[in-house]
Amino acid sequence: MSSLKHKGKGPQVMTANGLRQGPVVYMRKDYSWSTVFAEALQTEDEAIIAAMGEAAQSASEANLIVGAYFIDIDPATSEPARYRERFRMNGPSFDPGRPTHIEHAEKTGPIHLSET
Amino acid sequence: MYRYDEFDTQFVKSRTAQFREQVVRRLDGRLTEDQFRPLRLMNGLYLQLHAYMLRVAVPYGTLSSDQLRQLAHIGEKYDRGYGHVTTRQNIQFNWPELVDVPNILDDLAAVEMHAIQTSGNCIRNVTSDPWAGAAKDEVEDPRPTCELLRQWSSLHPEFTFLPRKFKIAVTASENDRAAIRAHDIGIKIVRNEAGEVGYHIYVGGGLGRTPIIAESLNEFVSREDLLPYLEAIMRVYNRYGRRDNKYKARIKILVQETGIKQFTQDVDAEYAAMTPADVAVGPEELKRIAAYFAAPKFETLSDKDEAFDKAVILDPALSRWTQNNLGQHRKAGYTIVNISLKPTDGAPGDITSEQMRAVADLADKYSFSELRFTHEQNVVLPHVKRADALAIYKALQDAGLADANIGKVTDIICCPGMDYCALATARSIPISQAIAQRFADPERQHIIGEMKIKISGCINACGHHHVGHIGILGLEKAGVEFYQLTLGGDATETAVVGDRTGKGLSQTELIDGIERIVEFYIETREGQERFLDTYRRVGIAPFKEVLYADH
Ligand code: SF4
Repeated sequence: MSSLKHKGKGPQVMTANGLRQGPVVYMRKDYSWSTVFAEALQTEDEAIIAAMGEAAQSASEANLIVGAYFIDIDPATSEPARYRERFRMNGPSFDPGRPTHIEHAEKTGPIHLSET
Repeated sequence: MYRYDEFDTQFVKSRTAQFREQVVRRLDGRLTEDQFRPLRLMNGLYLQLHAYMLRVAVPYGTLSSDQLRQLAHIGEKYDRGYGHVTTRQNIQFNWPELVDVPNILDDLAAVEMHAIQTSGNCIRNVTSDPWAGAAKDEVEDPRPTCELLRQWSSLHPEFTFLPRKFKIAVTASENDRAAIRAHDIGIKIVRNEAGEVGYHIYVGGGLGRTPIIAESLNEFVSREDLLPYLEAIMRVYNRYGRRDNKYKARIKILVQETGIKQFTQDVDAEYAAMTPADVAVGPEELKRIAAYFAAPKFETLSDKDEAFDKAVILDPALSRWTQNNLGQHRKAGYTIVNISLKPTDGAPGDITSEQMRAVADLADKYSFSELRFTHEQNVVLPHVKRADALAIYKALQDAGLADANIGKVTDIICCPGMDYCALATARSIPISQAIAQRFADPERQHIIGEMKIKISGCINACGHHHVGHIGILGLEKAGVEFYQLTLGGDATETAVVGDRTGKGLSQTELIDGIERIVEFYIETREGQERFLDTYRRVGIAPFKEVLYADH
């Protein structure tokens, strides 16, 4: 299950799902959350990573998000290293005749979640 | 169809009200996620790869046009305009928001539907023959039995915390269209030599990581004895089922480890120790339930319809549809219309809200407002006059639902896989798409004949790959998807688990390999042999050879 301790390698991003609506979200620089991966805070700095862990804990307790965990980022692409995480980022890969994840996100606009 | 009684209605209503409260408490933090998760799961709400997913129960796959319209409304209002028909004859919504789910449950309750027992270690939705009540080859309509089981198993206090989930399927035909032997308990309604109707009970089937075909436990259980007998099985399972290891907790493992002989004795001993009358349901009650499933008012018709026959001769597409998508109805002049949810360019089992409405309208107009979802992820209009088939075909064409591929190579069972499912190891939908496109030519599909391809995106086998004529399992290694093949599986009355071919394949190798397998079959078959028959005759070796020909 989710772990707020990062055991990964290289740059880290914090991800979760929004509690109310359920979407995949990523932690931003100001420790708020966004559905847009490009806005995610990516860092290798251990102090910042520790602070991200605490912020995620706090956001879980504030009932903003569920199931937070760190993911590894491939430094070469700045995208999630793990295959599964790339699907979480991109949405379903094959949905002919329907708006893609990205088109849908463009239509509804990004979701931002913050404790304040 | 079964109508809720007052108790059902009240119960579902109060359950929804409770859930509304629980969501409020979750959102304001009075419930933590750990506390809330089991509550939402008990109401069919999962958190999947991208979002929440709500699984709505469709008891034994039967639903009314009004219910389908309500599902269309839910898909449109709270989701992204579609739903996904599952191999459990249920429907899933892939994008609901938690805050909307209480409203969705209210909307479901308004048409006597809910999402209870679609998750958890309980007896799940009982599945059945999608042609129930219409099939020419059935002993009787299996749905009153299903409904009896639904009432017995719903919220049964003793069976709410089983070692693991539990699935029951019922058929009443020699031709098993409900894959009963892939279930924890499979029930076949039979008639004995004395002409009495009873139940042949199979036990210990299941797919997943340890695929096993159910074994025959008792060839004839009388009507009155059904519930006490099943209850005895459940008690034995509840008592001896492996709770120590999730992967060994299904009844199939217990039956394997105990041996069917000993297991039978255990069940008999349990049965002997109980007071059947405490559990059994009297003939009055059975009659009451059966009355809900009284056959519609069929007209006396002839099977001959010159106008239709002529249209079929003139239109090859219609002719194919007639051949593949119509099933034999028990009443002269009637037919069973199977609507394919397997277009060459869409995810198997998906149906848009618009299409749901179109189908609901057809059911109202032509099929006594009745519909079925099938475990092969299609839809059925069970009672259609042959004379109306042409009008239905045209309406289905307008709705984009006229694919004439039932039972053919493109009628693929496919789980959501990595595109939606949090447990997946690989994608399955793109594989089914690639196969469907490769074999899109209807004439070619016709030449190939009956072919069941089934795809799962992980070892849990929701896509029933072990019992596909060609089964495909998606796996991943170091960020690369690959696919393992099984051949010769069968989900019907001649059920068998398929044989693994060996080394996994990339998507491209897989699709090319399947094409070679199909071509080899066509060259090798004798007479009217189906793929499965040829496979059984020649064995796996030559198929393996062509599959790995380019390695
Ligand atoms: S087989 Fe695996 S990937 Fe497919 S739906 Fe089941 S759990 Fe998900």
